[in-house]
Amino acid sequence: MITQISFLIMGVMAVFLSALMITRKWPVTSAMLLIVVMMLIAGMYGLLGAHFSAVAQIIVYAGAIMVVFVFVIMLLNLPPEELRYGRITIGELLLTALGFIVALFLGTKVGQGYLISNLNSNSLINARPPYYPASMNENVKNVSALMFTDYLWAFELISFLILVAIVGAIVIAKKAKVSDAKSA
Amino acid sequence: MPSLPELGIYFSLLLFITGLFGVMFRKNLIFMMLSVEVMLNAANLAFISASSMTNTIDGQVIMFFVMAVAACEAGIGLALIISLYRAKSSVEIDDLRILRG
Amino acid sequence: MIEISFTQIISTILLMLLGIAVGAQVAPIMSWVERRQCAIIQRRLGPNRVGFFQFRLLGLGQPIADAIKLLFKEDFVPPYVHKAFYVLAPVVPVATGLAVTVAIPWGSHVVVNNQIINLQAVNLNSGFLLIFALSSLAVYGVTLAGWSSNNKYSLLGGLRASAQMVSYEVAMGLSIIPLVFIWGTLDLQTMITKQSEILWGFLPNWGFIHAPISFFVFIVTIFAETNRLPFDLAESEGELVAGFLTEYGAMRWSLFFLGEYSMMFVMCVLTVSLFFGGYELPWLSQHYLLEILNPQVGEVLARWILLPLGIIVLLTKVILLMWIFVQVRFTIPRFRYDQLMKLGWIYLLPIALINLIITAIVTAIVKFH
Repeated sequence: MITQISFLIMGVMAVFLSALMITRKWPVTSAMLLIVVMMLIAGMYGLLGAHFSAVAQIIVYAGAIMVVFVFVIMLLNLPPEELRYGRITIGELLLTALGFIVALFLGTKVGQGYLISNLNSNSLINARPPYYPASMNENVKNVSALMFTDYLWAFELISFLILVAIVGAIVIAKKAKVSDAKSA
Repeated sequence: MPSLPELGIYFSLLLFITGLFGVMFRKNLIFMMLSVEVMLNAANLAFISASSMTNTIDGQVIMFFVMAVAACEAGIGLALIISLYRAKSSVEIDDLRILRG
Repeated sequence: MIEISFTQIISTILLMLLGIAVGAQVAPIMSWVERRQCAIIQRRLGPNRVGFFQFRLLGLGQPIADAIKLLFKEDFVPPYVHKAFYVLAPVVPVATGLAVTVAIPWGSHVVVNNQIINLQAVNLNSGFLLIFALSSLAVYGVTLAGWSSNNKYSLLGGLRASAQMVSYEVAMGLSIIPLVFIWGTLDLQTMITKQSEILWGFLPNWGFIHAPISFFVFIVTIFAETNRLPFDLAESEGELVAGFLTEYGAMRWSLFFLGEYSMMFVMCVLTVSLFFGGYELPWLSQHYLLEILNPQVGEVLARWILLPLGIIVLLTKVILLMWIFVQVRFTIPRFRYDQLMKLGWIYLLPIALINLIITAIVTAIVKFH
């Protein structure tokens, strides 16, 4: 009961704050609102039983990625943006409505019922509420056991991707040296 | 009252739509990148809810990979914004029209 | 659904209040300790006059006098600052510094109403990572304070300080992972229980003996995380006017220091729990004492007797470590910014990585022998 109420409160607050976030003038305010949204989402992960993911979300997203965002915003010293909404065309409106309908179909029971009956897996039909009887205490062990056996290739490739991203970001953001410009 | 992971999927839907509107209707690159982060978080929430619904752990493992990819994308996107700002002194996408796109 | 009983809710609330109370009281006491220790190192007396009712009390009334003065000073919000973040920025270090006290292990457990109450307010499976998560949020206090002051020097000071804190978080996390290999768990309570055994017949099974390099790297990174000397360029009085704190007066300024001291306290508790056995006495583990007391007073009462003993042992170890922090502050000169970044990225990060690889290889050999 308490978990459901707090999940509802966190979810509603996350959606409300992200709707607030996309309509702000100052970029710093949006970044701070996004940090709060990420912490709320981490809380939701915790309630769903994914404790390691919750802590990793706070460490990586709210504590590292958003710091980089805030750095760039503060160093570039961007002025507050006046909210200009361009004219919306009929085509965009129709596509948005179509997108809503598809999303609602996929997200609610009607869509799930349609999709599930076409699958041959038993575990989706007997969808149970989240209750890991013993593995609530072994979340880290289960996640890492899976990550280093079945998903080992993906893990190694992701670490390589992170290396490429680090090198790429430094190369892109470096100032062009005067000697390079002269030789070009 | 639907069960907890089902609520999670509904909220991830709403967050994704909110992020999508942020990308569509803002002209500043920083706001667009922030909205993309919201969309990626919504996808992560959907993964974790799905893994909770089927009592498996695969969703949580995939969430880590999505998070790592989001970190890389944010890093390189911000580096590109910095070098764009140096070249054009503006980060509005309306001012980036060299390719007439 | 997971059953949450009433006793567990009450005990969690009480443990959180204990953590907040201790975390908030550290700041005044540490400010007195720092001023007296600084004076003794510099061969003079410190504040030793302020007391109560004609008793000098070694100057212990000084923090109370400081607090009263700061409360009654004029609270001035300069007109050119960004108001919302100017007011919000001091709240962030305090909130994270007090929130991070929930993961402190005060003791092993007590039995109330036939239920085992773990003496740690939040006992996640991902143990001490909660402390890392909340301490990585403390960066925003410094950054927002620097930016909202609308002042180039504050902005530079704030950004430099947050770059320093983020750089040393990497080495901090990497230096702790070898301990996870050695103890095989992320849970602080399990680690402390394993540290109560005897190694090789006469040594306590402390983390310091298993992983000394981790300890030294971790201690250095804690100094950088909490902006203490020799890494305190952000607050360096005299270089950047006052760094990111320039526009902050009276109580707002002291809120920053409340958060910093509270975070320092929790980091010292984490060090003691990981490397020095936490709330366990070195050779008289709580298990051993329980076996002595159990036939005489019964298990429930024995656990209630061991609870204050555990807290006293933990606080003694933490006070010793914080006193060493204060000593280091007045001994080593401040680092320059490029020396600081070089130390974090070029020296500490490879040392932590090599330590990690060597510990992984040795642990694998020992475990799968």
